[in-house]
Amino acid sequence: MDRRYFIKQVLLWSAGISTSIPSFRIGPELLAAEKESPVVSHGKDKNYNELVSRVLKPLGGIGKFVKTGDRVVIKPNMAWDRSPDQAANTHPLVVKALAEQSLAAGAKTVMVFDRTCNEARRCYVNSGIQQALESINDKRLKFYHPDTRKFVPVNIKRGKAVNRLDIYRDALEADSYINVPVAKHHGLSKLTLGLKNSMGVLGGNRGNMHHNLGQKLADLATVIQPKLTVIDATRILLRNGPQGGDLDDVKVLDTLVASADPVACDAFATTLFNMQPDEIASTVAAYNMGLGEMHLDRMQIIQA
Amino acid sequence: MKKKGMKLRRWRRSSQVLSFFLFLFLFIKTDYSGSNELSYAVNILFRIDPFLALSASLATKTLLALMWPSLIFIGLTFVFGRFFCGWICPLGMLLDGAHNFIPPADQVNLKRFRPLKFYLLGFLLIGAFFGLPAAGYFDPFSILVRSLALAVYPALNVLATSFFTFTYQRMPEWINMLTEPIYTFLKATILPFRQNHYELAFLSFFILGAIFLLERLDRRFFCRSVCPVGAVYAIAARFSLMRGKSGTKCGKCRNCMDVCRMGAIDEERNISPLECNLCMDCVDMCPGNKIAFGFQQREVAQPAFALSRRTFISSLAVGATLPFFLDTRTMAKRPDPYLVRPPGALPEDEFLGRCVRCGECMKVCIGNALQPTFLSAGLEGMFSPRLNARTGYCEYNCTLCGQVCPTGALEELTLARKHLTKIGNIYFDKNRCLPFAKGIPCIVCEEHCPTPDKAIKFREAQVLNSLGEKVLVKQPYVIDERCIGCGICEAKCPLPGTSAVRLTSAGESRNPQNALPTQSLPY
Repeated sequence: MDRRYFIKQVLLWSAGISTSIPSFRIGPELLAAEKESPVVSHGKDKNYNELVSRVLKPLGGIGKFVKTGDRVVIKPNMAWDRSPDQAANTHPLVVKALAEQSLAAGAKTVMVFDRTCNEARRCYVNSGIQQALESINDKRLKFYHPDTRKFVPVNIKRGKAVNRLDIYRDALEADSYINVPVAKHHGLSKLTLGLKNSMGVLGGNRGNMHHNLGQKLADLATVIQPKLTVIDATRILLRNGPQGGDLDDVKVLDTLVASADPVACDAFATTLFNMQPDEIASTVAAYNMGLGEMHLDRMQIIQA
Repeated sequence: MKKKGMKLRRWRRSSQVLSFFLFLFLFIKTDYSGSNELSYAVNILFRIDPFLALSASLATKTLLALMWPSLIFIGLTFVFGRFFCGWICPLGMLLDGAHNFIPPADQVNLKRFRPLKFYLLGFLLIGAFFGLPAAGYFDPFSILVRSLALAVYPALNVLATSFFTFTYQRMPEWINMLTEPIYTFLKATILPFRQNHYELAFLSFFILGAIFLLERLDRRFFCRSVCPVGAVYAIAARFSLMRGKSGTKCGKCRNCMDVCRMGAIDEERNISPLECNLCMDCVDMCPGNKIAFGFQQREVAQPAFALSRRTFISSLAVGATLPFFLDTRTMAKRPDPYLVRPPGALPEDEFLGRCVRCGECMKVCIGNALQPTFLSAGLEGMFSPRLNARTGYCEYNCTLCGQVCPTGALEELTLARKHLTKIGNIYFDKNRCLPFAKGIPCIVCEEHCPTPDKAIKFREAQVLNSLGEKVLVKQPYVIDERCIGCGICEAKCPLPGTSAVRLTSAGESRNPQNALPTQSLPY
């Protein structure tokens, strides 16, 4: 046995060990790795109006998301007949600041609505959002109740758990859709964040979404893709969500989280509850569908 | 002279139209308006009704302070006679307005029906006293408002919505430019905020329709022969100071007799104050200007009919006897468990005694949860409100139904008291509830449960789903001490058909007999 023969034999025999089966599946990990890592901005301030500008700055400001002449939808969570301090709805000042900034950025119309869980008028009034928006004197701002005629059936082509949903027309036709959920506890999904907030544009029997909620929310996220997500964690509900009602369950954080990546935004906000992103089924399902990043170490997290 | 007469009649008509529109305005305002407190006395029509005041007071053996405005109208009737029927009553105005469109039937002798209203009044009042609450069946305002609230108003919304949906979906853009602003305007003004659905909608409408059909027999047949409010006013008007009188001599043209909508004028041109509703038509029509209304009266004209003492006493006897049959029914022993009364409802007997079946609470209920009862509270309990938790639910922070109730059958609760008022309790049907029956995650009920510390909680459990796989699901359960019976869980349960969580009256605060078994003190 000469040296040359030995080396040849070693290489040949070890070839089967060192070479694995070639893989042509592009997993979400790979997809995410190819993408630029998303920017998630968060900040803390008692002045919520200023805080909105601050967390948007690292993302390029509102001008990055709202262009002149855009039809903008701002979708807060105002599903419950609860007051702002009870932390069941998005804080009115956050909604107001976003509406004002969108108008200032030259939006053609700014539409604000939600399909509520409690009686619609009570939710609009008692969330404080109606009063906050009425103080903006601008005809381009439209704050209204969804019109039952305007829910259109949409095929969810990429849907794994649901393939057809009734979705509000204005949400589908918007040039810029800004999702402004409130971060809070939820019995079934553990937390309700950005993806869950998109349920407010659905018509029909929304209760059916709850059977395999995580995947269905991810399916919905393939159709409702906000340009910007601003998660309101100015005060968060720790227990008895998503309705709340007991101030002992509320923790004041004075925090906002914003990102152009809806999944990353949810993932980071999860940590505010001392939980990990992979504990939230919708985050994981959306990540697996390639809708955004969920790994904190692959985000650019910027404290604004 | 003629001109002056025309003026009188025009005054009457304006008053009718004005009070009718005031009534409609208050009807539309019987709704949430951005605050939990109503800004208008929307139930005033019922609170000025002396018949309902009498009936509810007799039923409860107390003077109902809420009904004090009815004294004003009784007082005014002692001065002006049955002016209410001619000048104010919204149903009267509708009948007057519709009369020309209703073809008359063949003439029959209708005079014998005249005393009916007095027999009916006697029957209803003594019945109320002994425990047969049936006033709401015959009270004109109950019939009118109930029919408007349960049938006409929702139907109007169906009509408007289907029309504007058609234009929205099928018509070109330029038509929508016209129709959409109209729809927006209508929605902001007269249309209801949402489409409500009611049980007994058709029956409620039919009863109102029947009153219009009676108009075929005679003008204002209902007012002449049936209306118990008219009967109360007629008794007071017997002593009224202002009367119509005719001059001594006239050409006997009998125009006044023909024109009288109440049939109050006899062959001798005597105007009976019991019937006359001061419409002033005879003043206008008399070619000799012989008829005038004034305060000097010597003799009282006899009514155009005779009240039979025997029949009157019989109707009282029936009214006094029938109530005792009510307690022979099974519901006296065990009430229907699905008969859930609104928050603030008094104990059942007192509740039914006071409830005038006006439908105001069902109109104002923002959850469309309050529905008219059919037979589950007995024949006499028909149209009283019950909570149907499948059509809607009781909104946790709302107390509107207690605010509109004209008789206090539903107490006006503060929000703090309402939060502690239990109207029922829920149970889970584990054969249908998804996490139990199929291993499918759901707990929509838990999500919506409004008590600050949720009455619906869940436990995680490993079960086999229909594929035989072991799955971990959250299974809901109820904590009786916290459940107030709002029914939002049943309303929102995503199962088709019957909900997997049902609301019953078990544990309701107003009935200690219905208490749930507990291990600790309830609140």
